[in-house]
Amino acid sequence: MKYEMVAGFETHIELATNTKIFCSCTTQFGGDPNTHCCPICIGLPGTLPKLNKQVIKYAIMAGLATNCEIANISKMDRKNYCYPDLPKAYQISQYDKPLCEHGYVQLSSGKKIRLTRIHIEEDAGKLIHKRGDTYVDYNRGGVPLIEIVSEPDIRSVEEAKEYVEKLQQIMRFIGISDCKMQEGSMRCDVNISVRPEGSDKLGTRTEIKNMNSITFIGRAMEYEFQRQVDLIESGGQVEQQTLRYDDATNTTSSMRGKEDANDYRYFRDPDLVTISVTDEEIDELRKQIPELLFQKAERYVQQFGMNEKDAANISKYRRIAEFFEEASEGVKTPKNVSNFIIGQIFRRLETEDDKEKFDISITAQQLRELVKLIDDGKVKNNLAKSTLEKMLDTGKSVTEFITESDMAGMDEGMLAELCKKAVEANPKAVSDYKAGKVKALKSMVGFVMKESRGKADASAAEAKILELIG
Amino acid sequence: MESKIRHYSDMLKNREITCTELTEKFLSGIDTSNKDLNAYVTVTADTAIEAAKKVDEKLSRGEELSLLEGIPMTLKDNISTKGIETTCCSKILEGYKPIYNATVWEALQAQGAVLLGKTNMDEFAMGSSSETSYFGGAANPHNINHVAGGSSGGVASAVGGNIAVYGLGSDTGGSIRQPVSFCGIVGLKPTYGAVSRFGLIAYASSFDQIGPITTTVEDSAIVYDAISGYDKMDSTSQGRKGAPTVDTLKNDIKGMKIGIAREYLEGVRDEVRACIEKACEVYKSLGAEIVYFNLPALKYALPVYYILACAEASSNLGRYDGIRYGYRTDAYKDVNEMICKTRSEGFGDEVKRRIMLGTYVLSAGYYDAYYKKAQNLRGSIVNAFKNAFKTCDVILAPTVPMTAFEKGNAISDPIETYLTDICTVPVNIAGLPGVSIPCGFGENGLPIGMQLIGNTFCESTILNAAWQYENAVGSEVFKSSEYGIKL
Amino acid sequence: MVTHEDVIAIARLSKLYIPEEELDAMTKAMDDIIKFADTINNASEKGVEFDNINNLSNAFREDEVVPSYDREEILSNANDIDEGHFLVRKRV
Repeated sequence: MKYEMVAGFETHIELATNTKIFCSCTTQFGGDPNTHCCPICIGLPGTLPKLNKQVIKYAIMAGLATNCEIANISKMDRKNYCYPDLPKAYQISQYDKPLCEHGYVQLSSGKKIRLTRIHIEEDAGKLIHKRGDTYVDYNRGGVPLIEIVSEPDIRSVEEAKEYVEKLQQIMRFIGISDCKMQEGSMRCDVNISVRPEGSDKLGTRTEIKNMNSITFIGRAMEYEFQRQVDLIESGGQVEQQTLRYDDATNTTSSMRGKEDANDYRYFRDPDLVTISVTDEEIDELRKQIPELLFQKAERYVQQFGMNEKDAANISKYRRIAEFFEEASEGVKTPKNVSNFIIGQIFRRLETEDDKEKFDISITAQQLRELVKLIDDGKVKNNLAKSTLEKMLDTGKSVTEFITESDMAGMDEGMLAELCKKAVEANPKAVSDYKAGKVKALKSMVGFVMKESRGKADASAAEAKILELIG
Repeated sequence: MESKIRHYSDMLKNREITCTELTEKFLSGIDTSNKDLNAYVTVTADTAIEAAKKVDEKLSRGEELSLLEGIPMTLKDNISTKGIETTCCSKILEGYKPIYNATVWEALQAQGAVLLGKTNMDEFAMGSSSETSYFGGAANPHNINHVAGGSSGGVASAVGGNIAVYGLGSDTGGSIRQPVSFCGIVGLKPTYGAVSRFGLIAYASSFDQIGPITTTVEDSAIVYDAISGYDKMDSTSQGRKGAPTVDTLKNDIKGMKIGIAREYLEGVRDEVRACIEKACEVYKSLGAEIVYFNLPALKYALPVYYILACAEASSNLGRYDGIRYGYRTDAYKDVNEMICKTRSEGFGDEVKRRIMLGTYVLSAGYYDAYYKKAQNLRGSIVNAFKNAFKTCDVILAPTVPMTAFEKGNAISDPIETYLTDICTVPVNIAGLPGVSIPCGFGENGLPIGMQLIGNTFCESTILNAAWQYENAVGSEVFKSSEYGIKL
Repeated sequence: MVTHEDVIAIARLSKLYIPEEELDAMTKAMDDIIKFADTINNASEKGVEFDNINNLSNAFREDEVVPSYDREEILSNANDIDEGHFLVRKRV
């Protein structure tokens, strides 16, 4: 029998606020243990939470960017469970009145992965187990999170990966989180079950907790899918349980203990008041959401005739997209702009992080000046490329490197002169070429280009040299 | 009755006594009386003298003193004081020294208050006699074989025993009003949100309020004016609304409508009912009008209170796990066992019972029948009071159905004891202000109290009505105990 | 009726141990209290939705960093600390 995977995601994303959700301690990643703490976030008796306004704003933006309905009235609840990383023995979260509901994320196939809800809550601290001793650090305790819960709409590992990537891109793009999985600012729990293909019943699901890499998510899901299929095939039954994925062995194993008796006894947090958001406030936030990356990519293809891959590459990073759009203003061939970005500029931005930060030395306007020179036929592509390198090295404008005379172009007489010089200065190349080494011709053309400081037309020079050496 | 705060403040201003002398007198009063009263669990003699010296320096420089400056006072042991042990009279908080101040203490300190020490209470404010305290109960200064009441029994005992001029208690289901009623003094439970809860160690967050315990109505007004106010650290805080309550304290009450809800008089001792009836006569003589009405919603007040308060408590008390502060057990196999043993050894029986009850009513399968239902009935009680205040300005009711229990009686039968909270809990359920003042004595010679309940943020009205009564009856009813310092 | 099993389950959620010899007493006490609490279920009154005590909404804080406490203070009440952490040591 053929089996189908049915999966849903619970994704935790740390919000990029300056301060924690209920106190004014910094949310900065790292720091010496217990140095980003105050009486409130270590749960000293008598302390009270005070909700960070920015958390509400960011969570609503996340909801708007994923097509959610935003609740005008919501509230905070206590989720009670006792664990050393949770200083109050309850996590302040949202139970039956989340901020956002009924959204979706659209995959490139056009399929919509429905979102049940997005709610806000506080992160827990960090436990380190060493030789049986338990060390507790509350720096991360109280960092604001949104939890995005999807419907079980995912049917393959590919869809799962794309879903996670899309969420990551959207949240980064609207600037509410850096979504760094390796630093834990984005973590996924996957609910997964299997069923015979064509069935519309849901099988018993397991939940793989706390995965922090897209690769591992894929592997864990593949492993768990196969494990469940094997189990059913051999006449067994899937047991509903919480699993941990071990990337070293590429297996999942049961997490007992913490979740043993999970009766969370949710009730409204009496220390916090109702959250009320007006339609006007929601509209105001809607205006602050930039055109999303997919929408941008689509527009680039249609408006600028870019290919889909380039359009996706440029639109993936908010700062780069903005730079591209600004540099393309009023130029005839935006494609030249995107080629420069994907070629020269990307070479200088090795990691995803570099691209996200997009810290380069020239402005969009400076790039635009250069591309306009190509548009006007004043500068050839090769010269433009080398000039851009110099601009990127120094941060200086194009006029610093290309003079009026450079732009004047080169008449035939000057070209012939230079070609003649190239032939005379490279007797070895001439003889090599005559002996059948086609490459030798290139070195002579190179000589012409260098002498002309890039002004010469390379193909014209090649023709002229061939003419000279017969 | 003369304001004690003004009396001592005038003595300081007129140089009849230095603040250091005054503080030393109170400290020696504690030395003498605390053996009998067990009011204080921590005495902060050194910091008190230090604070007093500062006041004396100020006086010697010829600077003006504010009204509360240099006045020796006390705080219930659940109000956080930086660097000073704050235990809620529980073994589980043994040795705990807060690293921050409660907002109310911050405010009083800024006004030059002199803290004599921290006072006894029922463990985590759960009880009606202070006998669930890890340090043993506080005694009633009118008869030390009887309890001071609870949970703010230590403050009431200290103020009633004249070893503090005033104190701050907290009131979740009557914990200010009941002990002041037992000890023959005055206590105000403010409107929910009038006084910041920041730094008050929570019992039941949606009921808890800090308020003054004093010997006169004017003192309660003075202290209330000083501690009320909006606090950005407390999301439920709103502060005082309107002018300081001392401004209108002595207003005429001619035409004031004083309501009697019949349900409050059911099941109270005859001698208590008689005192209330006598008080009505006093009010009539002052030109007030007495109106009678029914408040049937009160029938469910007690179970509603215990269900909701214990539910919140079970969550609030989850944090005592021996990791960050307080007591930790010695022997354990793993972290979970450490937590369970710490809690089992650190909490007393009454606290455990309430945690268990709270966990039960919130747990799967019981939430709707208990927690949700109680929450909805809370809504009904709120509405019932709202309607009542359409027909009257204040509600007059007994504070407790009887006089102070004999020692040991309250803790022998928890449910019987819960029932004695019948008159005090409705105010907390509805978030209303209530002031308890003395209104007579029982056959056993112990004080009887009555409370004046107001609409939300109408502290001025109830304190005005209370002051007029106090002014009319005087020291016959507002009788001081034999203990402590009288200068 | 509150049973022993109920009490054991509730105690586990509450992170409390009820010693065997106290189980009867605790069960009895819980049963009494629950019976008392049950009186609300005799109420003909359905009640009304209760939001929060003064119907407050939107008590927010601005997203501005205030320096955290010194670690020494944060750890000052702990039973056991090591390398800047709160610590629960393994025992046998």
